[in-house]
Amino acid sequence: MSRRNAVLLLVPGLALLLFGFLVPAVMMLLHPPDTPALDVGHRLAQMLADPFMLGIIWRTLRIGLIVTAVCLLLGFPVAYLLSRSTSRWSGLLLALAIFPLLLSNVVRTYGWLVVLGSKGVIAQALTGLGITDHPPQLLYTETAVVAGLVQLFLPLAIVSCYSSLSGIEARLEDAARGLGASRTATFRLVLLPLAMPGAVVGATLVFAGAATAYTTPVLLGGTRQTMLSLQLFNYSSVTIDWAGASAVALLMTALVFAVAGASAWAGRRRVTA
Amino acid sequence: MSRAGRSLRPARERRPVLTVLAVAAYLIMLGPALFVVAVAFTSGSTITFPPEGFSLRWFGAAASYRPFLDGLGTSALVATAATVIALAVGIPATLAVHRGRLPGRAVVQNLFLSPIVLPELVLGLALYQQLMVGLGVTASGVLLIGHTILLLPYAVRVTGASLALADPALEEAARGLGAGPVTTFFRVTLPVLRPGIAAAAVLGFVTSFNNVPLSLLLQGPGTETLPVAMLQYVQTSYDPVVAAVSVVLLLAAVVVAVVAERLVGFNKIFGGIGS
Repeated sequence: MSRRNAVLLLVPGLALLLFGFLVPAVMMLLHPPDTPALDVGHRLAQMLADPFMLGIIWRTLRIGLIVTAVCLLLGFPVAYLLSRSTSRWSGLLLALAIFPLLLSNVVRTYGWLVVLGSKGVIAQALTGLGITDHPPQLLYTETAVVAGLVQLFLPLAIVSCYSSLSGIEARLEDAARGLGASRTATFRLVLLPLAMPGAVVGATLVFAGAATAYTTPVLLGGTRQTMLSLQLFNYSSVTIDWAGASAVALLMTALVFAVAGASAWAGRRRVTA
Repeated sequence: MSRAGRSLRPARERRPVLTVLAVAAYLIMLGPALFVVAVAFTSGSTITFPPEGFSLRWFGAAASYRPFLDGLGTSALVATAATVIALAVGIPATLAVHRGRLPGRAVVQNLFLSPIVLPELVLGLALYQQLMVGLGVTASGVLLIGHTILLLPYAVRVTGASLALADPALEEAARGLGAGPVTTFFRVTLPVLRPGIAAAAVLGFVTSFNNVPLSLLLQGPGTETLPVAMLQYVQTSYDPVVAAVSVVLLLAAVVVAVVAERLVGFNKIFGGIGS
């Protein structure tokens, strides 16, 4: 293929990226509609000095980190057991873990309304068993948001860990055990360092998704559990504060990049330590 | 799929802690969906478990609710169009990156993958602000652009993975035997790419069809997608009609999964596992 032809083949894609992605993304920061230049910077500075906004940033970070930790804690064992299983069912179990990715977040989150609602599974079970007449408020809490997001992102954690783990020879663990290492030591010194790249990818994907999700916090958290994503929607579609929306978009993106960078760094350190 | 070497340990060594955590993971992933199925067949008028009696009334209600029907049409149309455009633009770019001997091809490739790193809500905001409000592009136009940008990284990566497995010598042989570049593409390269294209198409359609953030921000007259219509319904009323829609979508997802398994392999397409 001549170089000229190759460039021609790239033109439609590059034009689409430029017009539909790069230029709008940059202009969103430099010049939102109906706002003076550099106003986004102003709004950003205001937000970083506003306790209400700092509370939202902190809640977003906290929920993102908790969801990531729980997804790895639950997802790693699934990935490990599936990658080591010789059962004929393991392919089907893997497919079952991936299957939820085919469903819209609205459908997946809706299930929690049935489980946590005031006449839902848990509330009815508690009253039915005579434990309490006034079941606690489960919906519209931070716990509900965390549960919904864990459900949403577990498949990503499992898939990322699985692709690392299935490449590690089980004989390495056998060798470690045979040489006298305990199960914990084998896990810590042999398995974990080798599985780290997949876990880091999984953690990055899960955090990026959880910290920027909209559907789940809006349905399960209500208005009291505001996260950055809800604030972005509020500015752009309710109060029409373009500079504010752009500043929140920048905050959200920066948060995702910072945590991605930190987890990559922590992963490398863990391996070389 | 590359499998790890067989263990010398007895296969049934017990790992109680890992097993408990794994079972919890499956319960969280799949449990809520099972309750939704039960609630969809209730004859009561609120989301209550256990359901009060059996009826199909909520399926009837869903099928006669206009925003869901219109939304389904919009979603199917946008998902199809965005998938076709993303492939039509992405496959030539993949060819150029893998076969073009361009300087800085890694940079070009990363540029095509770059939309994936931006949160979808942020991409939606940028397009809403700059194209719809700023330049006055119609809502349906911006919705289509947004969904195409969303799918472009998948199209380039998945077809690229197929192309990387193909031997360039085949194409060179075709050219050496007198085939032109177009004939070579359609007779030699395209057949090799077919599994990758099928995988990218299924993945792209599902991703676009289910998307909420872009569709939510890029709403205009006649551009409300099904997930957005469902989201708005759930936010304003507490009856189980969305449970009925969920069951229909669940069945559709099972059909997609079976088709994907026949085409290329379900775990390969959606898990990105094995190649």
